[in-house]
Amino acid sequence: MKINKEELIKKLKELSSSGYNYLVKITAVDYIDHLEVIYFIRNMQNKKEENVRLDLKNGESLPTVIEIYKAADYYERELSEMFGIAIEGREVKRLLLEKWDGLEAPLRKSFQWGSDYKSG
Amino acid sequence: MSDERFENAKREMEQLVVDSLKNYKAPVGAFFTNLKEATKAIASGAIRWSRKNSLWPMQFGLACCAMELMDFGASRIDAERKGYLLFRGTPRQCDVMIVAGWVTKAVAPEVKRLYEQMAKPRYVIAYGECAVSGGPWWESYNIIKGIDQILPVDVYVAGCPPKPENLFEALMKLQEKVGGKIED
Amino acid sequence: MLTKINVGPIHPSTHGVLRLVVTLDGDTIVDVEPHIGFLHRGVEKLAENRMYMQSESYMEKIDYVAPMAYSDLYVAAVEEAMGIHPNERAKYVRLILLEFQRIASHLLWLGTFCNDLGLMFTMFTWTLKDRDLILNLLQDVTGSRMFYVNMRLGGVSIDLPPNFEEHANKLLDYLEKRFKEYEIFLEKNPVFIERTKGVGVLKKEDAIALGVTGPVLRASGVNFDVRRDYAYYVYEKLHFIPQIQTKGDSFARYKVRMQEMKESIKLIRSALKLMPEGDALGMPIKLISPPVKEKEVIVRRELPRGEGMIFMVTDKQRPYRLSLRTPAFINLSALKYIAKGASYADLFSILGSLDLVMADVDK
Repeated sequence: MKINKEELIKKLKELSSSGYNYLVKITAVDYIDHLEVIYFIRNMQNKKEENVRLDLKNGESLPTVIEIYKAADYYERELSEMFGIAIEGREVKRLLLEKWDGLEAPLRKSFQWGSDYKSG
Repeated sequence: MSDERFENAKREMEQLVVDSLKNYKAPVGAFFTNLKEATKAIASGAIRWSRKNSLWPMQFGLACCAMELMDFGASRIDAERKGYLLFRGTPRQCDVMIVAGWVTKAVAPEVKRLYEQMAKPRYVIAYGECAVSGGPWWESYNIIKGIDQILPVDVYVAGCPPKPENLFEALMKLQEKVGGKIED
Repeated sequence: MLTKINVGPIHPSTHGVLRLVVTLDGDTIVDVEPHIGFLHRGVEKLAENRMYMQSESYMEKIDYVAPMAYSDLYVAAVEEAMGIHPNERAKYVRLILLEFQRIASHLLWLGTFCNDLGLMFTMFTWTLKDRDLILNLLQDVTGSRMFYVNMRLGGVSIDLPPNFEEHANKLLDYLEKRFKEYEIFLEKNPVFIERTKGVGVLKKEDAIALGVTGPVLRASGVNFDVRRDYAYYVYEKLHFIPQIQTKGDSFARYKVRMQEMKESIKLIRSALKLMPEGDALGMPIKLISPPVKEKEVIVRRELPRGEGMIFMVTDKQRPYRLSLRTPAFINLSALKYIAKGASYADLFSILGSLDLVMADVDK
């Protein structure tokens, strides 16, 4: 289902109290003028799955969902360093690219292959 | 010939022998100088023989090639029968560092620090394609293309992953280099 | 007084490269913080620059203990994008090879787990010998010991040899005897019981909220397995039963994996009897691949470490975005909550029972 950014937290609270209490993955796809963020959640009683999508323009920030699902910690950290999205509501540190200050958002389509490609 | 000329010749020969014996000096210290050089040669040969037959490797398995290193030390292809004893965890007791797996920019300072903590003489074997030249990840943004950009390497083993018998042959070639047969 | 200890990136256990900063109060753990990323090489970005079947060998090197399971996951995603379905015999052949791979992966886990606990090298050499026999059998079928690359679109690359059934049955009889010996050795051993019973308890509600998968989830009492709930290949015909334990400590996680190995033996035996005749070969790899029909694809499989998922957005010749969900990534994030309040010596028993492979965490 496709929703706006403002109703994200309300919708996820409603789904999680009606049985969808297991978060599978948070992922994003880069269409060049906007990003699409997808949340996969699952109901452990009747084994049904649901995905919640929203559109983000370049430069917008994403609200955090860690009070609803505790498993969102690592997924949000990885998303914010790979795509360059800011997370509002808590402090996120880098996860996989910790020791490397010059590298920005490698999974975007604008990251050129040749820019960091010299050997050494 | 008459008797007088024979007697004269005999006397001259004896004189020659006595004169030459006067100029002869017996070498007094020769026995002891030979012993010093002989001991040095035997000792360095013994040290080289004992070093080459007991190389102790340090385990440095980072990734998939570490699976083959574990098979190398297990019971089917036994590493202990040739003297490469159990893999040690600390670099202070080891001679050989076998680098197995890809090296990223985050791990590279640790590799350099561990190499400098080994005691001399020390050797490095690059095991597997990723340590030789970057391997299948040559186009990635986070990989060092070959371990010989930070360390001096002695033996290269190619394969993805190489079978453990190839590591056996590489260690035997390293033994020849330690023992002094191959010119480097 | 709080002290901080560094369990450094290179330590003599075979999980890989992981750095933990442990905060201690006396002997009790207050906080554990893992630092990862030492093996990150950007597989998701690399796959955007390759054709579809060229990145099959990248997926195998993500988890090097059970490589065939990941290559099966990726080829199934590409097959669904192109609308190709494998035939009956190909499904049976893939199932048999995958279940052998699962037994080999759990055997290696058992060996290194006992290494961490202090039973140095006895179980390690025994289980590595058994794993070597399974790898020899797989080498007879596919031609290589470790990285097989034998999944093709619609089947496998080489079919099973003619005397496979009797070799496999002999090997399964031998493995059943060895599993009885392992149980006698471990479950009556006071060292093993002291170090694993009651250590690292994870309750049922916490397990669902933290998002853990695989044997870690099933050891806490949650009844979920991808092979029964989102069934693929022929698991429904073979009457598969997931194994559940309720206590949630390290001993329960060991017991789940032990029972799973025995269940795999039953599945292989019944699959060998029911397999039909025919041809299991898939399409050979060519320069121009078949046309792509779907825009977005979601595929799930039960890997030996947990549940894996691929979400792929397709383009004509290469994927536009490949998004992987690997089980070890989310299992590691649960370490912080499990280890609170335990003593420092229990940390390695908990870390070993989660079954991590660091190249799986760092993609």
